[in-house]
Amino acid sequence: MNVDRVLKFELSRLNVHLPERRISLKEALESTKPQVATRDGSIHRFKREELDLLAKTVPEADWGRLHLPILIALDPKLGRGVARITGGAEAKVVGQILGKKSTGEELLIYRPEVAVVRRKLPTTTQYFFVPG
Amino acid sequence: MAAVATEVVTPTRMELLKLKHRVNLAQRGHDLLKEKMDALIIEFFEVLRRIGEARKSALKQLSLAYRALSVCSAVMGTIETRQASREAKRELEVEISTRHIMGIVVPTLEVERVERDALTRGYSLHTTPSVLDEVSKEFEKALGLLVKLAELEESARAIARELERTKRRVNALEYILIPRLKAALKFIEMRLDEMERENFSRLKRIKAMLEAGA
Repeated sequence: MNVDRVLKFELSRLNVHLPERRISLKEALESTKPQVATRDGSIHRFKREELDLLAKTVPEADWGRLHLPILIALDPKLGRGVARITGGAEAKVVGQILGKKSTGEELLIYRPEVAVVRRKLPTTTQYFFVPG
Repeated sequence: MAAVATEVVTPTRMELLKLKHRVNLAQRGHDLLKEKMDALIIEFFEVLRRIGEARKSALKQLSLAYRALSVCSAVMGTIETRQASREAKRELEVEISTRHIMGIVVPTLEVERVERDALTRGYSLHTTPSVLDEVSKEFEKALGLLVKLAELEESARAIARELERTKRRVNALEYILIPRLKAALKFIEMRLDEMERENFSRLKRIKAMLEAGA
């Protein structure tokens, strides 16, 4: 039974790096210290150059709709190496970065694309492990 | 392995349900940890690639800086260059914050401004030639690149540690826990089937005996 407890603890720790509350790109750009508090109580800081890149990519009207960090959801149900981006503005910006067309509220991307997104936006994106 | 699992389990339906639940949990944990491991590998290779680039540019810049220092020592003299370097004191403000990569805390170093102008370096402009300014500039550039490299190397170390830990857990689940649980599950199922067959034949026998008696 101890093993189960360890496993449950391990699973509960998977998403502790996620923020308590996401902030919009507009808030982040206006802030002198663009950062969010994570679930484990620590601070996650966004790099200014990434915010500038996002500001250039996203039209100003969408700055309030784009929530940071952008979550790259890894769901085992989707299959290994497939990730999901949810949210209209988020899907659109990731689509633009990858040169992919995103129409809906959701965008599915694959492992090499995840690497590209993480390379371009290391602090403004975060992995989110979807529990089954 | 199967023997270990079957020694401790009691072949009841309740235990079977419990075991099925545990197998599900272990399988879910395994899938999620494997996803985490894949993501960590992506991060690790990305950081390694960036370290390679950062190291290359830092070494190139340091080589330029040392070449400039040699020229400066030749023009000014070694003792005078050393004296000027002692006069040029500075405190570099590095803001160390953190960022998270899947629960791993990695440092983010932000330096306000590494390069200074000749007036703020501290050595006398009257007694030193312009080559000293060149040397200072080159070393300041190298310092900025070294700070970046330090950030990346520490990130790589932290990711590698977490990767090792996660891999150990994935392997434990994949090669020990899940096979053991599945073996125990199979054992209970087979035992229950066997009990059902025993019951069936017992009932048939009783029925035959009753019919013979009647």
